[in-house]
Amino acid sequence: MSEPDPPVVLIVEDEPDVAETYKLWLQGEYEVRMGQNGDEGLELLDESVDVVLLDRMMPGLSGDEVLTEIRERDLGCRVAMVTAVEPDFDILEMGFDAYLSKPIRSEQLHDTVTNLLERSEYDSLLQEYYALVEKQATLEATKSSAELAESDQYAALTEEIAEMREGLDDALGGIEDDDDFVATLRGLSDGEEE
Amino acid sequence: MAKKNEGVKNMYDLSSVLDFEALAEVRPGSSILVSGPAMTGKEKLVYDTLADGARTGNGAVVVTTSDRGSSVVKEFHERVPGLQGAQLGVVDCRGEGGSDPGLIEGVSVHQVSSPGDLTGIGIGITKALEGLHDSGRERGRLALVSLSTMLTYTDKKTVFKFCHVLSSRLDAAGYIGVFTIDSGAHDKQTIQVIKQAFDGLIDIRDADGGGREARVLGLADEPTDWKEI
Repeated sequence: MSEPDPPVVLIVEDEPDVAETYKLWLQGEYEVRMGQNGDEGLELLDESVDVVLLDRMMPGLSGDEVLTEIRERDLGCRVAMVTAVEPDFDILEMGFDAYLSKPIRSEQLHDTVTNLLERSEYDSLLQEYYALVEKQATLEATKSSAELAESDQYAALTEEIAEMREGLDDALGGIEDDDDFVATLRGLSDGEEE
Repeated sequence: MAKKNEGVKNMYDLSSVLDFEALAEVRPGSSILVSGPAMTGKEKLVYDTLADGARTGNGAVVVTTSDRGSSVVKEFHERVPGLQGAQLGVVDCRGEGGSDPGLIEGVSVHQVSSPGDLTGIGIGITKALEGLHDSGRERGRLALVSLSTMLTYTDKKTVFKFCHVLSSRLDAAGYIGVFTIDSGAHDKQTIQVIKQAFDGLIDIRDADGGGREARVLGLADEPTDWKEI
């Protein structure tokens, strides 16, 4: 297997110095894209983007407007709002997954991006887990308990499900706080409008 | 499905609501599915479970897809004399209550646009949990009535994931959750899938000679036998 592509972070920030600083901090681990305003940000946005760092106050399209567009396109990326002041409103209700207030330190930025990527990873693990559970349920619904008891496939599946269940709870720390909870739920609904 | 009980304190005792040994010590963080045909008292059972906890000071969160927020509040005030407003949070998902969160007899009621709006339900639950936490409730019980309605608004995959994520959140809070599903309204495979998102199952059925029977699975080492309730 080849090395997986690094996650893609899109920075939408109108102050070039600030954007460059973020890029400097992140570029070793991530593929970084930069947009100087909302319109540029939306142009750079596609399915490969994992995390968007979105400045809230920009000339032209505001961060809120960009967010609306991102959610409408249903891309499944995670969006952290960057603000100059601590927000006094509910960022979860606005549709953001996290927020960072300026000035941002390197460590904070890394933590936030890591956490948002973990949310996405949690969702894909949950997806895999669901596929196994569905397979198991199909066997249970179509075979007798005697048949199930003799089925190696069923035994292997049951074991795999038990392992995955542990993995989901442990590896990614489960759902630790409200932001994780709501951001994960938002990911579920985003991916389901097929 | 059973979680290890060793060394965990502050178990929840649900046996006074439904008399099973397997329900006497339910580990904090457990989520239980209450499954049975229509009109078998599932809703009453989960409300009893919450009211029983509330009488001993537990917090209560009700997520409802069918009852008006105000009627839930009224019912709890009747069942639990001396209920404090800050002890109960209601998430009304009928989509008919307007958009603003309201306060009904001291209880905060969060309105969600539809039973299919999982993010909205999550935000409502978050606020209810925050309210309980702020009033110092370390222990609490959440009821969701019902998953069957949610399944008519969104597919079983999404409902399964929702239950799993909500279970994890309750686990982190040390709460327990009780969720109802109408077993007659879905195919066998759907019920099997949804079950897997839970730690335990209370199965209810109509007994042959009239009345009702229940059994408990997943919370003790072995499933219990069917027993009249």
